Amino acid sequence: MDLEQMLSYQWAIMTPEFIILGIATILSIMDLFMPKNQDRKILGWIAFTAIIAAFVSLLGLVDLEVTSILYDTFRLDSYAKAFKLLLLIGAALVMLLAISYEPKEGMKEYKGEFYYLFLTALLGAMVMSSSGDLITLFVGLELLSLSSYILAGIRKKHLPSNESAMKYVINGGISTAVTLFGLSYVFGLTGSTNLTEITGVLSANFDTQQIYLLGLSFLLVFVGLSFKLASVPFHMWAPDVYQGAPTPVTAFLSVVSKTAGFVILLRILLTVYGAAPSGSSTASYPMLIKMQDYIALLAGATMIIGNVIALRQRNVKRLFAYSSIAHAGYLLVAIAALSAFMFDAMWFYLGAYLFMNLGAFAIIQLISGKSDNEDISAFAGLYKRSPILAVSMGVFLLSLAGIPGTAGFIGKLNIFMGTFYVDPAHYVLASVMIATTVISYFYYFGIFTQMFFRPAASDEKIKLPAGIIVVLVITVAATIVFGLFPNLAFDFLHTSFNGFSDMFQ
Amino acid sequence: MENAWIIPLFPLLSFLFLLLFGKKLKENSAFVGILLVGISFVYSLIVLFERFSQPTYKAEGTWLSIGDVQLTAGFEVNQLNALMLVIVSLVSLLVHTYSKGYMHDDERFHVFYAYLGLFTFAMLGLVLSPNLLQTYIFWELVGVGSFLLIGFYFYKEDAKKAAKKAFIMTRIGDVGLFIGMILLFWQVGSFEYDEIFAAVETGSISTGMITLTAILIFIGAVGKSGQFPLHTWLPDAMEGPTPVSALIHAATMVAAGVYLVAALFPLFTASETALMTVAVIGAITAIFAASIGLVQTDIKRILAYSTVSQLGYMMLALGSAGYVAGVFHLMTHAFFKALLFLAAGSVIHAVHTQNIEEMGGLWKKLRVTGPLFLVGTLAISGVPLFSGFFSKDEILISAWVHGNIALFWLAVIAAFFTAFYMFRLFFLVFTGEARKEIRNVHESPSVMTLPMVVLGVLAVVAGYVNTPWFGTFLGDWLVEGNEALGHGHVEGPAWIMIVATLVSLAGIFLAYLMYGKKSLSRDWLSSRAPVTYSVLYNKYFIDEFYELTIVNITKFFSLFLKYIEVFIVEGIIKLVVEVVQTFGKTGSRVHNGQVQMYGTVAFVGLAVLFVIFAVTGGYFG
Repeated sequence: MDLEQMLSYQWAIMTPEFIILGIATILSIMDLFMPKNQDRKILGWIAFTAIIAAFVSLLGLVDLEVTSILYDTFRLDSYAKAFKLLLLIGAALVMLLAISYEPKEGMKEYKGEFYYLFLTALLGAMVMSSSGDLITLFVGLELLSLSSYILAGIRKKHLPSNESAMKYVINGGISTAVTLFGLSYVFGLTGSTNLTEITGVLSANFDTQQIYLLGLSFLLVFVGLSFKLASVPFHMWAPDVYQGAPTPVTAFLSVVSKTAGFVILLRILLTVYGAAPSGSSTASYPMLIKMQDYIALLAGATMIIGNVIALRQRNVKRLFAYSSIAHAGYLLVAIAALSAFMFDAMWFYLGAYLFMNLGAFAIIQLISGKSDNEDISAFAGLYKRSPILAVSMGVFLLSLAGIPGTAGFIGKLNIFMGTFYVDPAHYVLASVMIATTVISYFYYFGIFTQMFFRPAASDEKIKLPAGIIVVLVITVAATIVFGLFPNLAFDFLHTSFNGFSDMFQ
Repeated sequence: MENAWIIPLFPLLSFLFLLLFGKKLKENSAFVGILLVGISFVYSLIVLFERFSQPTYKAEGTWLSIGDVQLTAGFEVNQLNALMLVIVSLVSLLVHTYSKGYMHDDERFHVFYAYLGLFTFAMLGLVLSPNLLQTYIFWELVGVGSFLLIGFYFYKEDAKKAAKKAFIMTRIGDVGLFIGMILLFWQVGSFEYDEIFAAVETGSISTGMITLTAILIFIGAVGKSGQFPLHTWLPDAMEGPTPVSALIHAATMVAAGVYLVAALFPLFTASETALMTVAVIGAITAIFAASIGLVQTDIKRILAYSTVSQLGYMMLALGSAGYVAGVFHLMTHAFFKALLFLAAGSVIHAVHTQNIEEMGGLWKKLRVTGPLFLVGTLAISGVPLFSGFFSKDEILISAWVHGNIALFWLAVIAAFFTAFYMFRLFFLVFTGEARKEIRNVHESPSVMTLPMVVLGVLAVVAGYVNTPWFGTFLGDWLVEGNEALGHGHVEGPAWIMIVATLVSLAGIFLAYLMYGKKSLSRDWLSSRAPVTYSVLYNKYFIDEFYELTIVNITKFFSLFLKYIEVFIVEGIIKLVVEVVQTFGKTGSRVHNGQVQMYGTVAFVGLAVLFVIFAVTGGYFG
């Protein structure tokens, strides 16, 4: 690659990534040279500004044709754009939480790292969504993972935080190995790491032996990536890690990291396995259609395990870990159904989940922050102490439970309709979804009763930091607005991204 | 009219505002509520007057598109909606005002007003809905409002129970409504009222399906409007504060069932069977509840049974193709029953008991409430020149003309019962001597009496908008431009009016003899026919019947589920917990045990998938 070729690339399409990378680098240097006792909050605000700038620059790129640079390893198609928007919004809100995060002990000297590691993690997630090659995809995945490992353990003197990081690293290592093993099969069978080339090779391949191996690689990749989604069978780490990690990190893992996981999973499934023939007598079906049942099986198991075990939880963050497992299950239902509007359904659901879950975490951080009390009883009498917080939390819980009038309801409705929209319809999966949703009412409304019908343990007023207020205003508004006028989001999606038709070009 | 959508938003604003800031405002919350609902009322009036001169206005937009299915949302102002808007917002406004006095000194004063706002919002949203789905969402929201308000005194065990019962009983009906709605959507491909009617008209739905869906939707109305056999929640709902009973359980929410049938009237008229079902259930409810009302002793319960009975009348009217009669009675009933409840609240406020046996001689002490209560009683009894007389007359004529002769006579008898039990109530409370020493009786403050005066005036004059003597203005307007709704006025034999008058006067006279002049023994019924008395007093043992059958079956079922939970679910959970704990014990020492377990689970999961893959040769089936 000579200079001329380098310069000929349309580097502009990487502007959002460059902004994040540049600011992350600058912040790490600033952190080194700042006096030890100086408040690092300013770094957080800079990081927040960087995310906003990246978001704006991405909006500027929305109308661009699909472009790829660096030998097709980095591509900016509408799929990447749509999901990167979600990632950036999520990261911006998480950053606001991080700025307002003031734990009792164990954080002080690592504040600087705390901020720029979020940026590098975000960068990893963004590279993942834009990757057109298995290599970049993997590098992005690892960048996200490694940053998250450190973030989980950033409260160095806080034992649960250490435990959390340790477990996260080990499980992450296993998952990476499994994913790589699966991807190596793909490379072995096709001789390429480029997604477009893989598609081309596979769609012409009808050797049943090779198809069989490809089937094995499907399972390996799916299970390996289910670590990022926190879905069965790679879900066990989530409760421990969520509980131990600092709350903003938990919020990041449950929203941004999960979204990135779905983005990459969907891209691999559709480009690699969506192109491969199934090898059975009805060869016209791509492999993905034939493997639906496995996804459905795991989706069902994820919904059941997540929701049922959540019933027994007393720790709020642990409870939300199981709730987040359950939501991964709902999203897998959309993938398993593969309906015509799967993209719409997943994009909307991830967006709705982003707002309602981050809002809930903002309140959890506020309630459990000072006292380090994460038991549900910490919510007792919240309505008496702060009606605004209680009502906001009520909105998030209603949305998470999928009650009409909230974005969560529309998201669930879309996925639900999708299961009936395909032929044959997934009745069993739809029933499991309904049943487990009903189960989820119990634990969500458990928090409800605590807030509204229990006497408060203390009358201490709750001070609202500015960052949290902004997060709450945005998330409550979005949860309700997209619940009442879902077409605002869908119209934007349809007009800007044209149904993701350029994904395979 | 283009801005009619804004009407429900004011009460919603009141709800949100009071929810967040009510605690600081304390009793000033009332002013916020009254002001905002007042604005809604003024707007509603404007919309109603605009609707007199302009055609139906409808605005809709795509709310949600799933695949190629478009769900719309919007609002519609037709005659029925415009009329309902005014009724709901007016009664709500008056109840808001009245409650300022009635709920005075309650610790959760602002919460009460917030709930009232929520309910009013939902009810106004319900009447503006142009399609079934939107109606259904508000329908449920109205139920939530009612649930919260019935259970307002949640520290009272009875109130808690009544709230739960109301919620569950109406939910039973809602399941019917939901199934009916989905069936209609499946048949028509739309939730829109207009498109449903168009499909009915062109005959693209089979007659059997029309009957089925109409009856399913009617089941929803049965639950909400407290019709037989789902009526038992309504009397129990009287555990809520009295203004709530006036607003929700007399004038608005319980009328929602009637409204729903009226809104879907073209669907019902397309099926004679469905109409007949509505008429029969209505007539049975009317006489059934009236007969229970004869012997009750709790002032609010008598009014509750009377509400059930009057709602039965409305259903009878609709079932007899008397669209105008049904809607007309809905309107007059809203006024005089709200008046009766508010007056009853004023009485309870003064004497602190609800047992009419313990009252008496209050006429002299309650100089305002007494006459107003009398006005309401005269109206509901169907005494000529009062509003109830005209609307009840319309219903009887409809039933007669439609050929429901048996139901007609049932309704006449129910009218007799109504006049009797209402005047029994009146004489026991206001005349004679107090049966228990009641001290410190004083008239309610003017903030409470003023709304009653307004309703009192309406209870008299509301009837004159639709009379056989001065023109059937309301009826003509209601059906204007829509032939499916029938005629503005149905001509009937003149003797019906005379019979109705005689019957109600006879009822009053009998009540006078027994409770006013006491020349007939009060214990006449209980001594001559103890069994009948006991059956009536115990409300036909309906609750006991439910207790024996449905509740026991449910209990059995839940017991069964409990065993499943104890032995299977708990077992599994215990197993999981045991496993985790076993690993946890070793893990806590070395601090890596659990992680191994997590990795193991992932690998075992992967292995299981591989095994399935290998065994099935790749794919299921």
